[in-house]
Amino acid sequence: MAVSIAPKETTDLNAMEDEAFRLHVRSWIEANYPAELRNPPKRLHWEENKPWYFMLAEKGWLCPGWPRQFGGLGLSPAKQIIFTEEIERHGCARTNDHGIVMVGPLLINHGTDEQQEYFLPKILNGEHIWCQGYSEPNAGSDLAALRTEAVLDGDHYVVNGQKIWTTLAMDANWCFLLVRTDKNAKKQEGISFLLVDMATPGITVKPIINLEYHDEFCEVFFDNVRVPAKNLVGTPNRGWDMAKALLSFERIYLGSPRLSAYAFTRLRQLAERMGAWEDPAFQETYGRLRLDLEDLKSLYGAFVDKLRRGETLGPDVSMLKVFQTELFQRITDTMLDIAGENAGLLEPMEGNRNLNPTGLYIQARPATIYGGSNEIQRNILSKNVLGLPG
Amino acid sequence: MSQALDDRTESIRMIRDSAGAVAPRGGDTKRVRALRFQSPGFDRAVFAEMGALGWIGLAVGEDAGGAGLGMSEAVALAEEIGAGLAPEPLIPAMLSARLLAASEDKALLGPLLEGGKVVLTAWQEKADTLAVPGTPDAPRVFVPMAAGADAFLLPVREGNRIALHVLEAAGADLALEKTMDGGNLGTLRADLGRATRVADDIGAVIEQALDEAALVTAGHMLGLAEKAFELTLAYLRTRQQFGRIIGTFQALQHRAADLKIHIALIRAAVESAAATLDAGATGAVRHAAVSKAKHRAIESGMLVLRQCIQLHGGIGYTDEYDVGLYLRRGMVIMNQYGSANLHRRRFMALAPEDVE
Repeated sequence: MAVSIAPKETTDLNAMEDEAFRLHVRSWIEANYPAELRNPPKRLHWEENKPWYFMLAEKGWLCPGWPRQFGGLGLSPAKQIIFTEEIERHGCARTNDHGIVMVGPLLINHGTDEQQEYFLPKILNGEHIWCQGYSEPNAGSDLAALRTEAVLDGDHYVVNGQKIWTTLAMDANWCFLLVRTDKNAKKQEGISFLLVDMATPGITVKPIINLEYHDEFCEVFFDNVRVPAKNLVGTPNRGWDMAKALLSFERIYLGSPRLSAYAFTRLRQLAERMGAWEDPAFQETYGRLRLDLEDLKSLYGAFVDKLRRGETLGPDVSMLKVFQTELFQRITDTMLDIAGENAGLLEPMEGNRNLNPTGLYIQARPATIYGGSNEIQRNILSKNVLGLPG
Repeated sequence: MSQALDDRTESIRMIRDSAGAVAPRGGDTKRVRALRFQSPGFDRAVFAEMGALGWIGLAVGEDAGGAGLGMSEAVALAEEIGAGLAPEPLIPAMLSARLLAASEDKALLGPLLEGGKVVLTAWQEKADTLAVPGTPDAPRVFVPMAAGADAFLLPVREGNRIALHVLEAAGADLALEKTMDGGNLGTLRADLGRATRVADDIGAVIEQALDEAALVTAGHMLGLAEKAFELTLAYLRTRQQFGRIIGTFQALQHRAADLKIHIALIRAAVESAAATLDAGATGAVRHAAVSKAKHRAIESGMLVLRQCIQLHGGIGYTDEYDVGLYLRRGMVIMNQYGSANLHRRRFMALAPEDVE
């Protein structure tokens, strides 16, 4: 391996006992995490979450999963899980993390030495903030139908097309892009990965206001955008396999019980505030949701144990995404049921961020759509897990 | 009998047609979008038009200057208003008109029926209730579209009776909160020192008027669900993925069929309740019919609205696409005049054997 980036964290955290490691992570987060950023009601923009990004970068904890020679923590799967659990337990904001969780692993596995040397340090120091150019207006669930094309012209690719649902594209200065490089091949076999500087002429970013009245997603337009050919990752026309491998991270991430667990604690607070807590009918509903949550945690734990043993996850991980996101919705549906007329409020009740039934209800809606809709997850389960024909 | 039935059908058809003046079927949402988060959140000229069309006094007797129509017409109208997303506070105004028509001092009734004055009833003292305690000094909460009120009606308990006071909005102590659909809810200080007493006892009338408002709100929800489903069917018929129109996927066809069943249930519950009230039902029979309809409208209506977002995928989660407007309005109206829990409890407490 030619590339070597010194890790900032010098302690071998893998050598610690699990519980000691957990407390080590927890106490550092509690001492350092900005209080005003706990459990943000909306996905934060870079300007808002960068203090946390830089704090992690400074500590050397930004990339727990990256190998140490690339500047990561090189944590074992078991330790990574503990690390993530502590981050979630404290309600830490999600950063603009596409460089950390997607581009880093992509380049570490498939990048050239030159790409690794150039890009990885700039993720580690926050100089490059990445966005993901996957979905298109006519390639959502059917992602492999994407049509944004890249045509080789000398030592550059010329990119034309449009991406959509690009999370926080307005914050990003780089984009990892799936493009069609062979229009004649089978649809999965003509796709390549390109790394694109967002400052290149011909790129237009247009925010999309969503049902939260928030501009989390964007449309990104490419009009004769010239991208150096050396920014292609891996083998031309083999981008689909790399993209699919990266998405397995997303499915376990979206199956994590954290959103449901968070909403569940807020459901209790709301019930107490609304006087529903003592109502036996509410207790029935609450108990049912609680058991669903407990069982989700157990199911999640079973998948996590596989990771801990170093196994790779199969298509059955789609079960987690389906159950988690639908539970999150049922919990927030119940919030509206007991909120009375507060079910129509735009802002949290009484200025209290913990009493935000409508915010959580709206946030829960796209969970069954993004990251591969639940319809697609059910297709995966019926075809690839159950082996049903068709 | 059959002549009476025909007359009824005709008056419902006419009221639906007249709704097109304000909320045209197939119209765009430009007007509705432009009013969001502007004060007062609705158009006073359109409110006046609603008055001119006789809608505010739809259920008020002709002797008091109303149209003398019933709940069957009112729910049909509310359905059209819901489908068109009109933000004007028609249902709260209809409630106020019922109270003023029963008052001794009717000075404000004419201007309200004409739509010249926006008169809203500040009856609620807590969330999710149909009870009117009339506590003299209790703040009145969740007054819909209060930012546009010219006057508020305050029910005030006097022993066994509920008197009615009028409080001018100018100078009133009113706090506003924004709602998901771009409207507002007000909390009003009940300053009786500035109010005028206009009725001795509207206790029985307000109980009936709240039942009617709950039922008409169920009609509004029906309109939201119908229209959102219509948009969704159009999307299922045109959107392509995997080289096919997505409406050809059986999983989605079945889901659409299920939603149609839910919409049919809402319509059946709402229209039968309206017929029950129009036949003169009172007391437990009326309460049960209304609760049955409102419960169904919330449970099935919100299910339909949620699924309409899901069936649209990402585009359904954008503000730019119309289907989300229906979900947002649904969130605002679902628990007005009682949540599903409240109506389920009320229905079961009455346990009416004869409500079939």
